[in-house]
Amino acid sequence: MPEIVLQATDLAKAFAAPAGPLPVLTAVSLEVHAGESVSIRGSSGSGKTTLLQLLGGLDVPDAGEVRVACEGALVAPRRRLGRGVGFVFQNYQLMPELTALENVALAARIVGVPPAAASAAARELLGLVGLAARADHLPAQLSGGECQRVALARALVNRPAVLLADEPTGNLDERTAEEIMRLLLDVVAARGLALVLVTHSREFAERASRRLVLSGGVLSPA
Amino acid sequence: MPWFLHLALRQLFPPGKRFPAFATVSILGVALGVATLLVVQTVMNGFGEEHRKRIRESFGDCQVVAARPLARPDELVAELRRAPEVASATAYAEGPALARRGDFSGVAAVRGIDPLDPAQPARKYIHGGTFDDLDDGRVILGLGLAQQLRVRIGDKVELWSPAMAERAEKGKAPLPAEFEVCAILRTGFTEVDNAAALIPLRRFREIWNLGPRAHGVILRLKEPARAEEIAGRLNVGHPDLVFRPWQAIKRNFLEAIRFEKTMLFFLMFIITLVASFSIGSTLFSAVIRRSREVGVLAALGAGRGAILALFGLQGLLIGALGTGLGFLLTGGILHFRDAILGAINAVFGDGDMVASVYQFANIPLHYDPADFVAAGVFTLLVTTLAGFVPALWAAGRKPSEAMRDA
Repeated sequence: MPEIVLQATDLAKAFAAPAGPLPVLTAVSLEVHAGESVSIRGSSGSGKTTLLQLLGGLDVPDAGEVRVACEGALVAPRRRLGRGVGFVFQNYQLMPELTALENVALAARIVGVPPAAASAAARELLGLVGLAARADHLPAQLSGGECQRVALARALVNRPAVLLADEPTGNLDERTAEEIMRLLLDVVAARGLALVLVTHSREFAERASRRLVLSGGVLSPA
Repeated sequence: MPWFLHLALRQLFPPGKRFPAFATVSILGVALGVATLLVVQTVMNGFGEEHRKRIRESFGDCQVVAARPLARPDELVAELRRAPEVASATAYAEGPALARRGDFSGVAAVRGIDPLDPAQPARKYIHGGTFDDLDDGRVILGLGLAQQLRVRIGDKVELWSPAMAERAEKGKAPLPAEFEVCAILRTGFTEVDNAAALIPLRRFREIWNLGPRAHGVILRLKEPARAEEIAGRLNVGHPDLVFRPWQAIKRNFLEAIRFEKTMLFFLMFIITLVASFSIGSTLFSAVIRRSREVGVLAALGAGRGAILALFGLQGLLIGALGTGLGFLLTGGILHFRDAILGAINAVFGDGDMVASVYQFANIPLHYDPADFVAAGVFTLLVTTLAGFVPALWAAGRKPSEAMRDA
């Protein structure tokens, strides 16, 4: 059995609302192993993005805990932001003033990689996602699909154990979405990474090795 | 270069934009504030410095006077010349007289001076004629007095001294002393120019029946700025004499100039503060606009300190570039100050106030490095603060909150 790279136990999260706390997640537990891909589907407002943010350490659960593999140990992701987990967002979330190469290298620079090494790693990953020739282009000069490829390269640059993808094809046309999804699954498989994919698409969700549905604040097999 | 500095530079100066609106407007705002502050300060320093110089040159660095005329002024002059702080000492006498030419007359403040003294300050303020022509039969008149008497160089004027009244009392005919005007004096001090009449000390003594006496001694000091301290030291051993340093001669006037400068600094300070607040508000909107980017940076592992530095540095960079540009702008404005003033006078139809009111050939300047340092430090401090306040807000947000704003 491959090692556990992501472990969430009894996660609960509620948001403040005028009528009182609005529970979004009640008791979510999840274990993801290296090389495993997990898809999570759910209706809008079901808490998919919130769950992903808790798994990635971008938010703190009201109850429960999250651990991710980082440098040989399971640690709280909030303490190791940018290292144990890589994010791919629906809107790419690239820095508009930086080139593709700089966007990817930035993620490495932030965690302390020296500039030359960060650029080298970024160039290699842009080659991997098929954008070597567009390394010096700004996001505004790239198509949506190309931006998402840059975002994928950025998510990989710090060699995370887990990739969290939040609707990575949500803003793309059908053909580009297919290309990106294939690239994402290929890269994850080739690097032995774990993938947690939040998507509305039943078709893309079916391609994951494990499929889950988030409904009523609870995660259950699809 | 740290990543946040690299990103701060890119956000301020995005590639492909020669004049990015936000950076350009902010930097120009700071530059104008700094330039306004420094132009006003430098010109005010110039006026102050010029006035101080003229006070010293008109009245000496230090005047030595007594309750009565000095009985042996030559001895005192010789003694004072031996003091290491004294550059020169010269006796003088002064007194009022009635100046008259034909149907025109005026009150003259006559001063007896040594015409052979090469350090005689009046030499610098000759408006027409020649100082060296001054002799026992000639007089140098202040411009205002000359205009009042309707005299030109070469014309004759009569001086009626109070000593002549004594002659009349004794039953003798009070004959006026007649002088030919050899030069016109223009110091810029209205009270001097409207009354001054300079004649040789020897002749003054004759007309005023002073004998060998003099009314005082004018000292030129090697370090005029230390006049107050030196005057105190020289006064020791001369209880019957009063040593008046130039700072005391026109104290109220100098205080007024200093107060004016302080008030203008305060007003300009407010202008710079307003510019800094507008930078703060612009940076605040920029931070809010970049809210999701802040969330992404946090998701990528950027700490609060780095996010704080990212936006704080933008304020600092705007401040530094604005201050530098403000210094250049100050130099440019001051270099072309007279042309600028000429244009303003032409537009508003005013005469040359600098010449007519202050009687300066051009706007005086005095660059004080302390003003530049103070303006630079103050501006950097305020603009950095203006950047840090929104940065604090941005850095304090949870990444998920910031991302939700996307």
